[in-house]
Amino acid sequence: MNGSQMQALMPILMLSLTAIVLMIQASIKRDEKATWIITVVGILLALWGAGYARDFSQPVTILLQVDNWGLFFTALVLLASLVTVVLSQDSFSSEGGSKEEYYLLLVLSALGAVILIQSSHMASLLLGMELMGVALYAMIAFPKKGLLPLEAAVKYLVLSGCASAILLFGFALLYAATGELSYKGIGEKAALAYISNPLLVMAGTAMVTAGIAFKLSLVPFHMWTPDVYQGAPTPVTGFLATVSKGAVFVALARIYMDAELHQYESLILALSVLAAFSMLIGNLLALLQEDIKRLLAYSSIAHFGYLLIVLIALTGSEMASEAVTFYLAAYILTTLGAFTVIARVSREDQQKSQISEFEGLFWRNKIQATALTIAMLSFAGIPLTAGFMAKFFVINVAIQGSHWFLLSALVIGSAIGIYYYLRIIFSMSKTSGNDIGFRDRSGDITALLLTVLILMLGSWPQPFIAFAGGL
Amino acid sequence: MRELIGLIPLIPLLSSATLMLFAGHLSRFAIGLLGVGSVGIAAILTAKMGIDFLGNPEVFKVTLWTWMQVGTFSSDVAFYFDGLTLVMMSVITGVGFLIHLFSTEFMEEDVSYARYFAYLNMFVAAMLILVMADNLLLLYLGWEGVGVCSYLLVGFWYQNSANGYAARKAFIVTRIGDTLMALGLFLLFTELGTLDIQALGDAAKDKWQVGDSMPLIACLLILGGAVGKSAQLPLHTWLPDAMAGPTPVSALIHAATMVTAGVYLIARTHELYLFAPIAMIAVALVGLATSLMAAFTALTQHDIKRILAYSTISQIGYMFLALGVGAWTAGIFHLMTHAFFKALLFLGSGAIIHCLHHEHNIFKMGGLRTRMPVTFWSFMIGSAALAALPMTSGFFSKDQILLQAYQVDGIGPWLWFGGLVGALLTAVYSFRLVFVVFFGQVNTEPDKDTGWRMVIPLSLLCILAMMGGWIIIPVTQVFPLAVFEHPAHWVEYVSIAVPIVGVIIAYLIFLGGQLKVDVFTNSFVMQKLQQFWFSGWRIDWLYDQLLVRPYYGLARALKLEPVDNFYRLVVTISQTFNQWLSAGQSGQMRRYITSMVFGLIVLLAILVRAS
Repeated sequence: MNGSQMQALMPILMLSLTAIVLMIQASIKRDEKATWIITVVGILLALWGAGYARDFSQPVTILLQVDNWGLFFTALVLLASLVTVVLSQDSFSSEGGSKEEYYLLLVLSALGAVILIQSSHMASLLLGMELMGVALYAMIAFPKKGLLPLEAAVKYLVLSGCASAILLFGFALLYAATGELSYKGIGEKAALAYISNPLLVMAGTAMVTAGIAFKLSLVPFHMWTPDVYQGAPTPVTGFLATVSKGAVFVALARIYMDAELHQYESLILALSVLAAFSMLIGNLLALLQEDIKRLLAYSSIAHFGYLLIVLIALTGSEMASEAVTFYLAAYILTTLGAFTVIARVSREDQQKSQISEFEGLFWRNKIQATALTIAMLSFAGIPLTAGFMAKFFVINVAIQGSHWFLLSALVIGSAIGIYYYLRIIFSMSKTSGNDIGFRDRSGDITALLLTVLILMLGSWPQPFIAFAGGL
Repeated sequence: MRELIGLIPLIPLLSSATLMLFAGHLSRFAIGLLGVGSVGIAAILTAKMGIDFLGNPEVFKVTLWTWMQVGTFSSDVAFYFDGLTLVMMSVITGVGFLIHLFSTEFMEEDVSYARYFAYLNMFVAAMLILVMADNLLLLYLGWEGVGVCSYLLVGFWYQNSANGYAARKAFIVTRIGDTLMALGLFLLFTELGTLDIQALGDAAKDKWQVGDSMPLIACLLILGGAVGKSAQLPLHTWLPDAMAGPTPVSALIHAATMVTAGVYLIARTHELYLFAPIAMIAVALVGLATSLMAAFTALTQHDIKRILAYSTISQIGYMFLALGVGAWTAGIFHLMTHAFFKALLFLGSGAIIHCLHHEHNIFKMGGLRTRMPVTFWSFMIGSAALAALPMTSGFFSKDQILLQAYQVDGIGPWLWFGGLVGALLTAVYSFRLVFVVFFGQVNTEPDKDTGWRMVIPLSLLCILAMMGGWIIIPVTQVFPLAVFEHPAHWVEYVSIAVPIVGVIIAYLIFLGGQLKVDVFTNSFVMQKLQQFWFSGWRIDWLYDQLLVRPYYGLARALKLEPVDNFYRLVVTISQTFNQWLSAGQSGQMRRYITSMVFGLIVLLAILVRAS
């Protein structure tokens, strides 16, 4: 490994360094404030590293692939982590009253996500995924209050364990068929192996797909999502929804492209089934949901259904890679925007994530209410928001690839979606009671910045499209 | 002077606006002065224009401003003045003035005195625009304007819901004709590229041949409009119900002016009709059929105003007959004389109703000859003119129509014969009315007298109804000269004799009693026939079955918003699925794992199936 390769790994190195410094700092003197500052600085350094590494794009050993695309998502994931850190500062407290370890876990989880994004090998994929996941279990269970966080963590742990087992089994089958574990290697050998032993290749692909589908909470691997979203502290839910899911989707896209899986008709069929069910069932489940965190859990199921369309249409469209980039970016920003407001409003109190708690928010805190409104509109895909451009890309790609069946599922799903997104907005504009104002302005700046970003992506997307096209 | 022509419709319009806006601040006297005076000034101006025109018969056109311009289409607010316009304007402002004057007494005790005159002035303005318009679009504006005023005045006593129903019926039924007419205008514009009435005639000469299908369609569509407004078959059903309005309104709108707008329209566009002989025959047949149907119906009515209403329908049928046989001048002449004697009859009936506690049933009247002499003589003269007894105004006009109808090739004698039957019936029903109401025993005592504001209009109209036949209307420039060959003398003698015979029959049955018809009328067949006629030939019933009921049914069905059911279904389906799926989110991990395993099996099945 030469110097240039080390430079290419700058974000990973920076996050690792932050983790080490945090451990040392915690062993010397427990000080939540200091820990928080170190975490923020560390993530900012990693962000700088992501920019720095752009000049050194290259494969680093067989395990990692550093390229502009990966670095963009690395930056996005780091941004999401930063927002989570800011939100976590005072939204919940731990058993002992302070939460130095929480920040350490968050940095480790982010590190796992970055590795996942840059992985080019099954081993690094698994490493990244488990690093991210194991840290997340602890983060979910971190608050002291109530049993729900614990329940959520245990559920996620057990089910995630099952999913990992399936994923590993898939790797093993693929290895048995091809003798390779790197994506590209599998791609080169798979065609030959398919002729001699199609069953192994296909079974392996199916199990890998199932393992990843769990992490993306695609139907029918979605059942855990609402319970975990609801049970986890709100900033952690936001982290799970953005960092974890985003990184896994990038990894899936890499496997799909590098291992040349798009050539198998039956896999495309399988993905189509997953996408269609995710879009319809996700939206239907969200329809009458009263808990906003559960509602967003279901909504995220639908959104990954939409994203999957792009993957399915990948070969049929020139725009597909841009579409993935744009949609994922829009989704992450919108989700962060929504959870920023929810974290402010509901804090750690589980009762307060009911939609009814948001009634009259417009009269209590205009900035938060506007931010949540814009986020909901973006989720619904209303023009001038990032979500509209993202959905526009997806629909465009689907039309180019003539995926009419999936397109109709998307249209029906979106129509249902508008109902529950608007429901939240209506609820906020109601004037009824609940005027116990919260005058806390701490989250306003974050919310405002994210709102501006969402609106910019939606109303003036050209620079970003040009940028995404160059990745 | 010519430029002042614009003032003639403007003054009543301004008066109407003033009455609407400042009704609360005006005394009753001021309201009456404004309402009657504005029409009076319009009448004086019209008279002045008429005298000028008779001295120097020069047709002219005054363009006030460009109304609208769209691409190549432009329409001016422009007035066209010729002999036909003059006749119509004279009738509208002259008869209109007398009726306004009459109204001041008739409506004396009504709370909505100002509203009444506001509507009536607005009607006069709209009617003047209709007859003065230089192009069909402006004419259409007036056409719709009088329709609205008619609606407002029929439903004037809106507290009674039956009146509101009659008003709606009048509006909707005429609306059907209006729509046909609008279609006709569109067709004329696309075919001939203009709506200017004079230009239309020239363009038609260039583009059309006699007998083409395009002029036929256009003329039939315009006929549709005329049929609606002039209450001819099959759109006549609104007029008898329109009698719900105040009686002077019936005199002005539903006898003298608005209902004759259809006659005016066809006369105005006669150059187009000359290209469509079939349409002309259609006009004549519609007119004759309506005339007979309405005459039979009038024979059996007992509401004084309904008798007069059916009589109006019947007389306008004569005008249509005249137009259809090319006797344009005779048609317009009859329009004018009819305006005189029918306004007289309506005002006379108004006087009776006014003095008899709003009694409408002629069999509850009787013996009024000595008690209301002015009204009696009004009715005598009006009925004589209506029956076309010699030397009355109606005689001159109706005689011309019948004689010219006789001369039409082929069907002429039949048209003449039909017209004669109608004339006989007219004489019978009009003198039945006179004999029943004014002779015999007194059934109801009048409780007040007619004042001067009623007597003067009645007297003046009596003179016009008697002498109107001597007026020579200045329309020789407007219509092509009729090739008038005097028919055989016996035709003329029969035409003159028939109304007299009718009067004698009426006398023998209703007054003298020499002719006993009870056995005949009480027979089963005649009873049924009388009921049939009384109901207006069951045409209302027919429309009720064919149109009104199905429409109500449709409306009732749509009231339940059947289309919404589809959306409700969507909602129900979504909610049902939501409930099913939510039930699956039980929180139990074994279920979650089951779902995952199921998913894995599905994926394996899909992928492995192919290999």
